[in-house]
This record gives sequence, C-alpha cells and structure tokens, in this order.
Amino acid sequence: MIKFIVRRILVMIPQLLLLSLIIFVVAKAMPGDAVTGAFMGNPDVTPERIEEIKEKFGLNDPWYEQYGRWIGKAVQGDLGMSYAHKQKVTSLLAGRVSNTVLLAFFTLVVTYLIAIPLGIIAGRWTDTWADKAIVTYNYFSFATPIFVFALLMLFLFSFVLGWFPSGGSVDIRITEGSWEYVVSKARHLFLPVMSGALLLTYSTIQYLRNDIIDTKLKDFVKTARAKGVPEGKVYTRHILRNSLLPIAAFLGYEITGLIGGSIFIESIFSYPGLGQLFLQSIGTRDFTVVTALVMISGIAVIIGTMLSDIILSIVDPRIRVE
Amino acid sequence: MAKKQLLLLVSLMLVLGVFLAACTGKDKDGDKGKGEGNIDPGKESGEEKDGELSFPLDVSNKDKAIEDGELTYALVSDDPFEGTLNKVFYSGNPDYEVMKFFDESLFSYDADYLITNDGAATFEISEDNKTIDIKIKDGVKWHDGEPVKASDLLYAYELLGHPDYTGDRYSFMIENVEGMPAYHKGETKEISGIKVSEDDKEISITYKVATPSLLSGIWDSPVPRHYLGDMTIEEIMSSEKIRTKPIGFGPYKVSKVVPGESVLYERYDDYWRGKPALKSLVLKVVSNASILETMKKGEVDIASLPTDQYENAKKLDNAELLGKVDLAYTYIGFKMGKWDAENKVNVMDPNSKLADKRVRQAMWHAIDNETVGKELYHGLRFAATTHFVPVHESFFDAKNPGRPFDPEKAKALLDEAGYVDVDGDGFREDANGKEFVLNFASRPEGDIGEPLAQFYIQNWADVGIKVQLKDGRLVEFNAFYDLLENDDPGVDIYQGGWGVGSDPDPEGIHGRTAAFNFPRWTNDKNDELLAAGTSEKAFDLKYRVDIYKQWQELMIDEVPLAPTLYRYELFGVNKRVVNYSIDQGSDLYLYQMGVSK
Amino acid sequence: MVVLNEKELLAQEKVNNPSLMKTIWREIKSDKLALGSLILLAIILTAAYTSPLFIDQLELKKVHLLTTYKSPSAEFWLGTDEGGRDVFSQLLLGTRNSFTIGFSVTLIAGLFGLTYGLIAGYYGGLVDNILMRIVDFLMVLPSLMFIIVFVTIVPKYTIFNFILIMSIFAWFGKARLIRSRGLAERELDYINASKTLGTPSWKIMFFEMFPNLSSLVIVNMTLTLAGNIGLETGLTFLGFGLPSGTSSLGTLIAYAKNPDIVQNKWWVWLPAALLILVMMLCINYVGQAVKRASDARQRLA
Repeated sequence: MIKFIVRRILVMIPQLLLLSLIIFVVAKAMPGDAVTGAFMGNPDVTPERIEEIKEKFGLNDPWYEQYGRWIGKAVQGDLGMSYAHKQKVTSLLAGRVSNTVLLAFFTLVVTYLIAIPLGIIAGRWTDTWADKAIVTYNYFSFATPIFVFALLMLFLFSFVLGWFPSGGSVDIRITEGSWEYVVSKARHLFLPVMSGALLLTYSTIQYLRNDIIDTKLKDFVKTARAKGVPEGKVYTRHILRNSLLPIAAFLGYEITGLIGGSIFIESIFSYPGLGQLFLQSIGTRDFTVVTALVMISGIAVIIGTMLSDIILSIVDPRIRVE
Repeated sequence: MAKKQLLLLVSLMLVLGVFLAACTGKDKDGDKGKGEGNIDPGKESGEEKDGELSFPLDVSNKDKAIEDGELTYALVSDDPFEGTLNKVFYSGNPDYEVMKFFDESLFSYDADYLITNDGAATFEISEDNKTIDIKIKDGVKWHDGEPVKASDLLYAYELLGHPDYTGDRYSFMIENVEGMPAYHKGETKEISGIKVSEDDKEISITYKVATPSLLSGIWDSPVPRHYLGDMTIEEIMSSEKIRTKPIGFGPYKVSKVVPGESVLYERYDDYWRGKPALKSLVLKVVSNASILETMKKGEVDIASLPTDQYENAKKLDNAELLGKVDLAYTYIGFKMGKWDAENKVNVMDPNSKLADKRVRQAMWHAIDNETVGKELYHGLRFAATTHFVPVHESFFDAKNPGRPFDPEKAKALLDEAGYVDVDGDGFREDANGKEFVLNFASRPEGDIGEPLAQFYIQNWADVGIKVQLKDGRLVEFNAFYDLLENDDPGVDIYQGGWGVGSDPDPEGIHGRTAAFNFPRWTNDKNDELLAAGTSEKAFDLKYRVDIYKQWQELMIDEVPLAPTLYRYELFGVNKRVVNYSIDQGSDLYLYQMGVSK
Repeated sequence: MVVLNEKELLAQEKVNNPSLMKTIWREIKSDKLALGSLILLAIILTAAYTSPLFIDQLELKKVHLLTTYKSPSAEFWLGTDEGGRDVFSQLLLGTRNSFTIGFSVTLIAGLFGLTYGLIAGYYGGLVDNILMRIVDFLMVLPSLMFIIVFVTIVPKYTIFNFILIMSIFAWFGKARLIRSRGLAERELDYINASKTLGTPSWKIMFFEMFPNLSSLVIVNMTLTLAGNIGLETGLTFLGFGLPSGTSSLGTLIAYAKNPDIVQNKWWVWLPAALLILVMMLCINYVGQAVKRASDARQRLA
C-alpha cells in the first residue's frame, strides 16, 4: 500500500511539472500584463516608470527564464508575488482557500447525504411513485445549468424570502469562536452549498439506482433470499455493500466538477473563495495568481483520484492495487 | 495628495468588475468629488427640472445623532477588495474606500479641491512658490496613541521614492521634490529637498519647478514610521500591519478585517477633531446585483448605486438618493498617429484616415448623446460639451455649447470635406473617392456597452459614415489598452473614458509627450496653452481660467477626441443617517456622521 | 473453423449498423416521453434553424433606445431587451448558436476521441500505453479554467475559435471509453481474420471495429451534447463565451443577475432559461432511450 502511494506521488511530479509549464506559458500569453494594466491611462506614471517596474518584476525577460525562476521558487513553496494584491501569492491563497475548501467539503457531504438515500430508494422500490419522483428530479438536475439554478436560489431565498444573506462568508460583527459565529458561517454557506449539491446528485443517484437494479438479480442475492434472509438484510448485507463501494471511486471526478462549479457559485453568491479570485485575476492579468490557482486545482484532482483508489483498495481487498 | 492629481481612466474601475459588472463604470475619487448638481434641498431627490435631473448633496434628516449608534456602509463591487490598506501601496479604488474611515490626509480640501488650513496640519507657501512649510497640529495621534510626526510624512516620501517601490504613486509631484531623483536611483540616502524640524512637528518640502498643481497635488498622507519602519518594502507589502491591523489617525480605528469581504471599525475616542458620533461602523462588500435589495431591507445604510438600478432606487421608501456630477467623462477618440518610443513623443500622421478635422467635427455632431443619456442611463448621464468636466466649476466653460447633436450639420461638414457617396451604396467615400470604413474599438460595460456601441454606429451610418466594430465585437479591457497603446492599425476610432482628477491640467492626456495621448494628436497652440496653464503665472486663477477657456475652444475646433457623456454619481442613504454629505465643499466631517435611530 | 472473406465480414457489419438505428427508432417509438421529446426538439430546432429566413439579422442588431425593456406585445412577442431589440428573435438565433456550438463541439471532440481511442485500442501495447499516459495527464487539467484562459488569449475571437477551444478539452473521456472497448474488441476473431487477410489497419479500425462500437459512441455523444450546450451558455454567462453582440441563450440568462430584471422583466431571461431546460430534458430523454436501445437488457420494446 505504501509502495503504491509512493509510486502515485512519483508519477504526480512530472505531471505537475508539465502542468505548470503549460499553464505558465499560456497565462503569460494573455494580452496585457498586470503592471501595464494597473497603470494604464495614469498620466503621472511615465512609460519609463512602467518599464522600470516591469524590469523589477522581471517581466521583460524571455519566458523560459521567467519560468525557470518561478519553478525554482515554487518547489520551495514560494509562488511569487501577486501584482494586483501586492502580496505573496501563497499568503493571498491562504486567506481564500479555507472558504473554498469549506464550500467544497459541505457540497460533497450534502450531495452524498441526498444522493445515497434517494439512489437506494429508487433502486430498491423500482417503478413505485417514489422511484418515479426521484428519476424525474434526476432528469431535472441533469438538465438545469448550475448558474441558472444558483441565480434562482439567490433570488428566491435571499431577495424575496430574505432567509439567507446574498453574499459574503460571515457576519463581521460576531465574535469568532462563538456559537453564533458558526451559525453565521452556516447561513452564508447554505445557499452556495445547496445550489451545488442539489445538482451534483445526478451521477450518484443514477449510478446507484442502476447498480442496485442490476445487483438485485444476481445469483448471490437470489441465494441469500432463498436461504430466507430478510429483505432488509439482503439490502444492507449484500446489495449495498457492493453498490456503494464504487461511489468512492467517483470522488476524484466529483472534485473536478466541484472546481468548475465553484467558479459559477462563488461569483454568483459573492463568496470570496478561489473561484472568484480566479475570475478576478484573469481580469487583472495577475498571471502568478492564475498559474497558482490552476496548479492547485490540478493537485486537487490528482489527490482526489488517488484518494479514490486508496479508499477502494482499503474497503475492497479484491480490487488489487496495480 | 498625489492621488487627486491623477487622471485615472474611468475604466480602471471596470477592470475590477469586468466580469459581472451590471453597473456602469465609475471612478470615484473617494470623497473628493464635487457636486455640481443643481442644489435644491427642498425638492424630492431625482426630480426633473428642465429635463435635467437634480439631486440633493446632504441628507434631509436633521435629527440629532443618537449616542453609540451603529452604521453599515456598502462597498459596491463584484469583487472582493484587495486589502492593501496603506495609501502608499494600495492600488484599487475599493481599498481607498476602506481606508477613508480610518486614515486621513493631513490637509482638508475646499470646494475647488485646493488644500486649506482646516485639516490636521497647516501650511505656508514661500514667495517663489517652490517651498511649502507644513505644521502638524497638536493632539493629532495615531490609533496606538503615538503623535503624528513630521518624520512620518517624510517616511511616506522615502517609501514612494525608494528604489524598491513598485507602486504607481511615484508621480510627477513626488519626482518634482528636490533631490528625489537622486534618492530614487539609490545615489543618496536622504532626500535633500525635505527638512524636518527639531520638535518633529514641522516639515518643509522644496520643489524643483513651481507649479499650481502643488495646491491640489501635494502628497500629504503620513505613514506611521514607528509601526512599520523596521521592515523592508517587501515585508511591509505582505505584512498584516497594512492588511488586517492597519492604523491611521482618522475617526474610526480598524477592529477586525475579514479579508476581501468586510471591515469592522470602532470609534477612536482620541480623534483630533472630537469624539466620533458612531460607536462602530461596518463596511461590507455588496455586489451590484444585490445592493438594492440589501438597501431595501435596511441591511446597509449608505451605498453608491449602479446607474442601471436608478429606476428602482427611486422607489426605495426607507432611503433617499444623493447625487453629484462625477469627475469623469466618456469620449470617442480618433487615432491620428503613432507614439515614437525612441524620442518619447507623439507623431501625427497627416495622411491618416481622420486627418481632416471636419470629418472629426462631423462625427461629433452625428452622435445623439442626449438620447443615450436619457434612455440608456435614465438621465444619469448627459451630453458632454467640452473637454473639461462641469465639476471644475471655475475652469469649465459652461457657455460653450460644444458640438451638439446635429446630423444636418454633420452632413454639411462631410460634403464640404469632399466625403460624398460616389458609388451609391448609402455610405460616403473619402475625398479621393475611395471606400471609407472606420474600425471602432469599444469595451464591454455591463448590459449597456454593446447597445451603446451599436447605437453610435447607427448614428454615424445615418450621416453616411460606415463604421464597424473592430473584429465585429467589443474588446475586453486589457486587450483594448494593448491596441491603443501600440497604435494598432486596425483601430481608427475608440470609445474611452477618463476619470479626471482634481488638478485640471490636461497635459497628461493631451500633451505632445504624453504617452497616454492615445489619439496621438499634436498641435503647437495646444503645447503653448498647456504650458501656460501650469506656469508660475498660473498661480493667478483668472489667468489660468482664461488659458483653459482658450484651450477648450481649441479642442472643440480640433476634436482629437469628442466628449460624449458627463455622469452623475448616485448614492442611496438610509433615512436614519444624519450629518452626512457628499458635497466636497461641505463643512460636515466624517466623524460627525451618525444615525438618528 | 469458419472461413469468412472480407466482403462477407463487411456485409455482416452493414447489417449490424442499420439494425441499431432501427432498434433506436423502435425504442423511441415505444417510449411516449422520448417520442414527445424528439418531436418537441425537432420543432424547436426547425424554428431556430429556419429563423434566419424571416429574421433580418442586421436589423436585429440595431438598437432602439426608445423601446428598451418593453413587455411582450403583438409586435414583440417576448418583449425587448436593454437595447430595445426583440427578445423572441434573439431567442431563436441564440438557440441556433448554442445548439450549433454544442453539436459541433460534441462532433469534433467525438470524432477525435474516437480516432484516438481506436488507435490506442487497436494497437494496444506500447502505443496504447503512451497514448493513455497522455490522456491521464490531460484528465488532470482543470478544463473550465483552461478554456477561460484560452478564450482571453485568442486575438481574433470567433464562434469557430470558441468551438475549437471547447473541443480541445472535451475529448479525453471519450478516448478512454472507446479505447477500453476497443481493447476488448481487438481480441475477437473477426479482427484477427481481417489482419491475416492483410486489410490495412485504418480500414479495420474504421470499417470493422467502429461499427461495433457505434452504439456506445452514439449514447455517449447524445448525453454530452446536453452538457456542451450547458457549458457554452455558462461560459457566455461568465463573459467568456460568445462575443457580445452574438445572440446566445447565455447572454439572455445573464440578465437575471439583476434582481429587478428577474422580477419585473421576466420576458428577457425566463424564456431562455426555460428553453435551455426543455432542450436539455428532451435531449436527455432521447438519450436515455438510445441508451436502452443499445443495451438489450434494458429495452422496453
């Protein structure tokens, strides 16, 4: 097992290097740069001054030199300076990452909390009204684009009903650490999390339902039934055990979906996380931040897929780790 | 403060909200704006008078402020504020909004944006107009109890001129300080033109060139040396001391910062003007889309409102609308030459498509800005007449009508210039009978940018000029300035916007050697007038007014760019707020702002 | 051992292929929901694709500042937008643009992924190994972020470029899917037989292997079509999609960022939002029927 993890991590290194090279070159190719953009039209700043600053930031060197410098520092954990924010990219991200992690974590948890019971119900009692309702819900969650749904949630629950705040991550007047603080955080998270989770359930429900329907007819289930095992136990002991396992394998892909979704969700709910920072940095051509964010997303996906594999091999020893 | 002297592109704001901006571009020069709006306190806000809007500048609630009130101020933006809370290092306007509650500049400013002796310091200018002596008043203290010292102001200059400084405030008024260039190059350790007195209360700054810009453009924000002085510039920039625990000497002190999102301020009891009215104040970022709803629910008390929500803002019953004309205008620019990078000078091309000034004049006459202002901006923008903004009351030539919408005149001018339709396709050919097509670069601006550009194109088509969008679409902010800066041959005309500062000098955008003179238009008369406007003689206001009047006439004749719209800045203020004004000349100070319930 | 010559083999495949289409049709016919969806989709698309015949696109681009945000009337069936332009016409053109993009991306990515997967699956071994390591790497890329960055780079930005950019990031999954089925397929007798007969590899891949995988491809493409339409409108919503001034459902929905428009000017955004929903549902229902048709166990008919 340890050997497996080590090997996966070793494979990760060239992947990350290649990813960093690609995104660095691509991000640099965006028209304009952070310095010129910030000073543009400010007549007090002479073109010489702009050149001087660009020189200081090393923006005039050939890209491979810039990349070499950047990657050299990056492996030591220094992702460079954000020009727009005038601060180390690492400390900038540190301030935002917890918001996004919180959002992603709860979105996943809620997704599974909704999807697993629904998937089981639909699979076990096929063709009942409950199954039909769940399947219909599933069609809709597949068909609704996330931004449309998020906009409607915002409008309905924040603007019309006023139940939840329309932006931010916490109410500043509340002291940290108190119970109210947790409540305030939760209230701010509720809409973004629900908007994501209610749509993300699609693949899990779909998979679970189909798989249970398949497994129901398999021989070992029939045998168990024939032996007189009560129906409830047939599900908990035999069917679910087999059907729930592969859900862990989807974890990595769910993370990819979450990263994409967070860009929409965070920008609609003015939630200060990495997705919002990404869009902002594209606008200001803050390419160090863009590069860092893409890298982080890449790492998240790699780790997610790795986790899936590890979980799978722990829960089910039959699945041999290659 | 140097900040006010800057002429910033309006669009700098746009870059912050470039994705979701439902609003129109705004460049608020902090609280330094000046309301020209017809002051009519007895009337309802936003009432029409002769077709023009008028807004009050002060809140109508005249009750007494309650003790220990609390207030919420909205920073309307679709992005988090960056959180570099220091006047030397910050870059975006949102950060300025955050700072204005806890940090002050030393001087107060009058309605003409000139420094006065009512602030935390007094000044005296020498006979030759080259030296200013500044004396900090007693009792002006930083939030940690240390007195504000003359050497704190010196420290600001040392940071701004430091070789390691990478911000954009090393500007003309800083460089103009005697000995600054040597210090900036790292040749000297001290700035020879700045002297601090023994008792650390007085400071004198000597300039190389005397200019009236001193009165509005001097840097007057000290930086607490005792708080930051032991760090290098790079350390300061990443330090929590300018991000989440900054200090100033303003009426409120920062108590907590949720980065990018909100700030909690508390009353600073030792504020030098007196005890502030509010016990605490919250500033929070609210998106353009949500601001009206939050205002309606009473969750925020003061907010600048996006133009496109004006119609509904009028219906708010718990808030009133304040408004003033902004220090900004939009325009159509005509590309006529190139920037000679080697000699650092603009070079006009006499053969450029738009070299004939009658064509440029006609294009100004052809566009119907009145309708644009009324319909697209609900009256919150109105047709611009000259290359000055009305806010510069003394310098703005209100009698000059500019070039109003007049398609017939436009046609006549084009006929006169020999631009007639030869091949009968409905569009005019140029004077040589060749096809005449102009490429138009315009930026997105919320929902409005695209219809606005289309409307202008239709206007020009109506007088027979064929204009098409560059590459058939709007050009995004960064790419837009790339095109202009590099004089891309694919752009003939463009729509831009300036946020003009309080210093009226237009040299930085119209001068022969100005890199931001994007039309690349040059003119001897222009050089002469611009030089006269900032000469020592121009310390005499009447002389300067006359020079700028002549300059406006010249510009309206030459039309290197055609001003299109002036704009109102609109604020929603909850009716419980008292002692609040957006009037630059008001004698109400921020510390008096309070709530009546 | 049964000896089959190449011609017979091909003939057999040809029989195989139409029977798939027939099965799909039979499956759709027996499922009222799928049939209704197909008909509805056909109506929407016919309206959208014939709309340029009766909509003057130049005229539609023109702004009329005196008729902004007019509510639905006999003249403007679905009212007007910020620029006083007819929402109904924009809706039709937008549907056409969105669908064309979604379809093109699906097709380009599908063909590329198919070829890539077939090559990997057919040759197996080292070729497969290298090709799949590349796909493994590409799967790690946060594609939405990359698309956004690419969109900002492209200087002359057109619908065609947009389609290409989206396609670049849409084929990885398909390649992997095809490859795994292809690997199984190459072990079968008919491939070996063809190889022994000296049929060129490309012929085997496209005329022998592909038909056997076609049901898989069709199912996958139908379902990703909906996803691609959603992605296009989403990107346009964020401002990284179609150039402004080009009608798109995303542009119309983006108006819903303003709560005033959500509530009081519903005609601008609601029809577009509903249309997307309906289109996606229809595609999904049809897609599910196609899926069942390709899997004998699940067939209804």
